[in-house]
Amino acid sequence: MIAYTIYLPQTRELLKNWATELNVYVPTMVEDGFYEFRPWNGQVEIAWDYDLCYTTLKRFFLPPREEIISFDMKKYAASPVIEAPKQLLFGVHPYDIKAINQLDQLMEMDNPDVNYQARRDNTLIFGLEPVHVAETAFWSSMGAASVDFGYDLYWTRISPGAFFVQVGSARGEEMLKVGGPVEKSSVAQKEAARRAHLKVLAEAQKHSLKYDWQKTPELVNKFFNNQVFWRERSQTCLSCGSCVLVCPTCYCFDVKEEADDLLQKGSRYRQWDGCMLKGFAEIAGGHNFRETAWERYRHRYMRKGKYIYDKLGELGCIGCGRCVKACTARIANPRAVYNEIWEAIKNEV
Amino acid sequence: MPAKPKVAFFDFAGCEGDQLQVANLEERLLDLVSHIDIVRFREIKTEKRDNYDIAFVEGSITRPEDEPRIREIRENAKILVAIGACATIGGINCLKNFINESEYKATVYGDFSRWYSTYAARPVSAVVKVDMDIHGCPIDKNEFARAVKELLLGKIYSPPKYPVCVECKMAGNICRFEQGRLCLGIVTRAGCGACCVNEGSVCWGCRGIAPDANMDAAGQVMDEHGFTWLEAQDHLRLYFGCNINKL
Repeated sequence: MIAYTIYLPQTRELLKNWATELNVYVPTMVEDGFYEFRPWNGQVEIAWDYDLCYTTLKRFFLPPREEIISFDMKKYAASPVIEAPKQLLFGVHPYDIKAINQLDQLMEMDNPDVNYQARRDNTLIFGLEPVHVAETAFWSSMGAASVDFGYDLYWTRISPGAFFVQVGSARGEEMLKVGGPVEKSSVAQKEAARRAHLKVLAEAQKHSLKYDWQKTPELVNKFFNNQVFWRERSQTCLSCGSCVLVCPTCYCFDVKEEADDLLQKGSRYRQWDGCMLKGFAEIAGGHNFRETAWERYRHRYMRKGKYIYDKLGELGCIGCGRCVKACTARIANPRAVYNEIWEAIKNEV
Repeated sequence: MPAKPKVAFFDFAGCEGDQLQVANLEERLLDLVSHIDIVRFREIKTEKRDNYDIAFVEGSITRPEDEPRIREIRENAKILVAIGACATIGGINCLKNFINESEYKATVYGDFSRWYSTYAARPVSAVVKVDMDIHGCPIDKNEFARAVKELLLGKIYSPPKYPVCVECKMAGNICRFEQGRLCLGIVTRAGCGACCVNEGSVCWGCRGIAPDANMDAAGQVMDEHGFTWLEAQDHLRLYFGCNINKL
């Protein structure tokens, strides 16, 4: 493992250098207690100790609305539109990196998503070890407390003025040395980083699943036909889609078209969609595969707990807790629901 | 429909703000009129003709004499489009439906109230068949342009059925409930791009109740977030008045 030590004053110079080459986004406090990734411009104060960035980072690879084809109705011609600005996300927490890694795999399977991949290829990710844990988060029990890949650099704050920076790719290392040589980390600094990780891990473990996450697919599958369970919990579902739209691993979209005002040219675009919305599974003739809120509610837990696992061997939930916050009805908490299922099955015997 | 359909605008009880939004399309309107023929639109031209294919109707039905007029428009038009909250859902005119008749008449017309015939406000669809709705208070000019283009391409524009929360999430807004504010986005039909929330306000519900809104759940959510029944009612009646049986 190659690692360097970077001191806080150095970061400003590095950021300045990086910002000349690509769009740099950093976590910052946008409102009391709410953090977002915003473009770095020298004035933005970086929230090194943020607990959770409010909006999912998938928007950097899968924007809420994205043009994918432009067409000409007079000439009957069409051409693909692929936009992929060069960007750097600086300060991504490991659970969010895990979510991006998962999206990378899903977008490559079956029909590779070229728009996603182009954006992803032009994106550098610098991870950051969290120091605070959002009260709704439970990532430590979803196997998302640390990641082995998916970052170009991984930063851990080891003292108020220093970072232990682990190299994840040649490009990352290059970026670190863009302003001249940097100091190699000592064994003691490495140990400090390890301790920093253990410290936040202990904090994160206060909110966790009551069982090993690997049992989730089997457990949730056993409950598939337990209509009473799903109906009861979904009674106050607003079918607003907030839980899936804020989810960093949800990637569903709808495809639409719009003509220009002269009705000569047009564009086909995709925009976020979600299985919790009633129209999502509606097809020609008005038939709907998941007509009722409880069926959609169940589907989401199946998707996160089993269907993604069947494809990739990991859960579709990384435990960031965004959905827990986003659901105004307070019924979207995967940790609570999976724990309940586990408990119910455990007590059956 | 003819190659260049004739389009007319009409208004009932309303502020004509929706037609103003259409006028606000400015140069875009010039592109659109290469495909349509505007025969009646008093905000932009004095000349008017009564031969039209598409009628855009703004405002709510609030008087007995509105009924024969809207029926005639319906008969003349091949396609009737309701534009703006007053026409699509009754809008804020319906606030008067919660006050008794003598009281609202006296408040508005004073000593002359006997001279005016007025009754409970209703959306256009309460009297005649409406082919298409363009929601909002006021309407979004881009959505209007889009709806017109879809008509010209032989389609009926259908606004989203999901609630505003979807567009708020796309815009990356912080949920108003998390800020301790009452917001109707959880039950209001989307399509506005969450414009009010984007500008720092809350959703007021001007696009009407989303077709599958869970009003019982919304009540519980407001309750659990600490809002009183009265606060919620004030907020809900502003635009949802005509759907009060759902409240």
